[in-house]
Amino acid sequence: MRKETLIGQIPLITLVVLCVVISFIAPQFLSALNLSNVLVQAAVMTVISMGMTFVILAGGFDLSVGSIVALAGCIAAAVMLKAGIVPGVLAGVAVGALVGLVNGLVITALRVNPFITTLGTMVLVRGVVFLFTGGAPIPSESTLPQPFLDFGVVRLLGIHYLVWVPAALVLVLSWILANTPYGRSVYATGGNREAAYFSGINVNRVVTSTYVWSGALAGLAGVMLASRLQSGQPTAGEFYELTAIAAVVLGGAALHGGEGKLYKTVIGVFIMVVLGNGLNLMNVDSYWQRVAVGAVIILAAAADRLKKGN
Amino acid sequence: MNSILAAENLSKRFYATQALKRVSFNLFRGEVHALVGENGAGKSTLIKIFGGIHRAGSGRVLLDGGTVHFHSPADAYAAGIAVISQELRVVPQLAVFENVMLGHLPRKRSGLIDWKAARQRAREALDRLHFQPDLDAQVGSMSFAERQSVAIARALSRDARVLILDEPTAALEEREVRSLFEVIRRLKGQNVAILFVSHRLEEIPAIADRCTVMRDGGVVAEFGRGAFAPGDLVLNMTGRAVDVEHHARGTAAGEVLLEAALEPDLRLHARQLTGLAGLLGSGTTQLLRHMFGAGERTRERAGVRIRGREATLAHPSQAISAGIGMVQNERALGLVLSHTVRENIVLPHLRRFGAFWRMDDRAAEGVVRELIAALDIRPADPDAVVHSLSGGNQQKVALAKWLAGRIDVLLLDEPTQGIDVAAKAYIHRLMHEFAEKGGAVLFASSEIHEVMSLSDAVLAVKRNSISARLERGQGLSEQAVRDAMSG
Repeated sequence: MRKETLIGQIPLITLVVLCVVISFIAPQFLSALNLSNVLVQAAVMTVISMGMTFVILAGGFDLSVGSIVALAGCIAAAVMLKAGIVPGVLAGVAVGALVGLVNGLVITALRVNPFITTLGTMVLVRGVVFLFTGGAPIPSESTLPQPFLDFGVVRLLGIHYLVWVPAALVLVLSWILANTPYGRSVYATGGNREAAYFSGINVNRVVTSTYVWSGALAGLAGVMLASRLQSGQPTAGEFYELTAIAAVVLGGAALHGGEGKLYKTVIGVFIMVVLGNGLNLMNVDSYWQRVAVGAVIILAAAADRLKKGN
Repeated sequence: MNSILAAENLSKRFYATQALKRVSFNLFRGEVHALVGENGAGKSTLIKIFGGIHRAGSGRVLLDGGTVHFHSPADAYAAGIAVISQELRVVPQLAVFENVMLGHLPRKRSGLIDWKAARQRAREALDRLHFQPDLDAQVGSMSFAERQSVAIARALSRDARVLILDEPTAALEEREVRSLFEVIRRLKGQNVAILFVSHRLEEIPAIADRCTVMRDGGVVAEFGRGAFAPGDLVLNMTGRAVDVEHHARGTAAGEVLLEAALEPDLRLHARQLTGLAGLLGSGTTQLLRHMFGAGERTRERAGVRIRGREATLAHPSQAISAGIGMVQNERALGLVLSHTVRENIVLPHLRRFGAFWRMDDRAAEGVVRELIAALDIRPADPDAVVHSLSGGNQQKVALAKWLAGRIDVLLLDEPTQGIDVAAKAYIHRLMHEFAEKGGAVLFASSEIHEVMSLSDAVLAVKRNSISARLERGQGLSEQAVRDAMSG
């Protein structure tokens, strides 16, 4: 809708500059093998970050996605062993959506702060995962159905199946946000909840729906991760919520809601993944990598403030 | 007379905008000086330079005849200049005396706070205003007028000799305005110089010794006491004569479009403007919200009759489908400021302009462009972000939202609060036009002037319910309205 300014493209410019610099220092960055690695690494995080974008656009916050990733992976694996691939995948997504629904209802009906609510479900869901699995991966002895395991490694047109999922989702979800009345309500609710309410938008329903998106997408990400790891891991997804939030911020979305673009969040994910990958290729100590990633997040947020300051 | 605070050839530029052009201005000791002008005339910039918030581009600020350079609000405060903004800057969670002494709580020799001295000094400052609240009351529980007094007392406790008040009466009701003026006269007697900005021109002759008019960043006129009437001010502010008083037209009332089930007096006729008059806190806002299905408590449902048919409004979406629109008392509440004019105007009509799965942007585009032209919204750009617009233009957008759809009842809460005279006259004209096309308007205003000059019927509100319905030609008079809303 709005005209894009050069300043709005800072995330993209950052990503391009990052790629150019890394490929000079470490030419193997551009190898087909490495690029496909980057894509696979970004795939799971992209799916989670898209859900996070919905929540943040509507003015909320979701810390529970990392735990949902683990829960969905384990539930999907368990159901898959008993009932087959399709029920397993559906169960994983559904359990994620269910946690999202609970988040949304607590936040809208009980009016609990989103940060506190999802901090609570983050810890609670992780506890449920350990109770459900006893702390061991699922399955511990047998193996998951072969087609499901293939999904994590097989390629279509030279690109992993795993990567096609977020690619398709980003198109569909962007279109929903930009072109449907629902999408406009999400932006308006985050931009000014009171104004949206007085314009006839059911803001509680909109807010709840964004947590359901976030939960369902985190559930899907958990299933994808289980396919890559060949099992449901109770410890999977730790700190993913923070990476996802960082990706949204790097993509230039406003943390108070109402402003942001899904495709820019994807760029944000790639900035994180490419940076990590580049530092690896340059043999930078993994402890230093953390320091670098943290600094980049703060820099991005500061740049955003400067941009709005003038 | 010698001036305490003066500006000499002050200029200030913000990027492409020349906010002040060689402004010279004098404030005398012990005088009350009004500063008026349309939005964007440079009033705020001038007082912000005096208050140390902005720095002058060129020119000088003189205090007691000597040049001063303020680098921060603290500098100005230390020099005895206090600016009381509309936001008041009080801390709602703290007690009255803590707010008065905020930032300069007296210390004992041990370095701990001397609470006894703090209370004593807060009391002294409040006494100068003849204001005697409970010193331990939480400021958050006080009315706006009381909080304003706390803010003024804070300035006095720091020995302010110049008090600059930015639109101090904008959120006050008539009675409170009178008592604020009492305070101002009292401070004047204590040799405090007072500069105040106001949009309510009719109150200025009553209080100001002198009045300075600004336009387009410069001073265009200065009047001494008794030498001006509100009309002179308007002429100088706008550079043209504006018809401020839009009198009601006395057209025959049409059918009843909306009626509250429990309040038979609350009925809105087609082709009529109905005014809602009440003191601050009397419940006019709640009444309007109730009629829009947006009652305070979420479970509160409004029983209404729409064109004679019984209905219940549980959510604004139901009111909108029934053809009711509402503009809230603060623009920041009703508009998504970070979004564009287009997005704001379309917002209440997502269903009309969109099938479930797809917005019809082309249909919306036509309507939006038509409204921007019809309401003379500037800039005439659907993609302009709303917070970049002036207050008057934002208010036009808030109205345009409802003119874009099939709305025949408009509920307006303080529709002209805080906007300049020209924009105000324009909003009044729009209200009339809306009624002429067969619509019904219900508007609340704390300016009894505005209510009297616009309304075909007036509803007086007292303690959350309607105390009288007064029709034009049948006992409607300013005195009758005042009697019905107080007492």
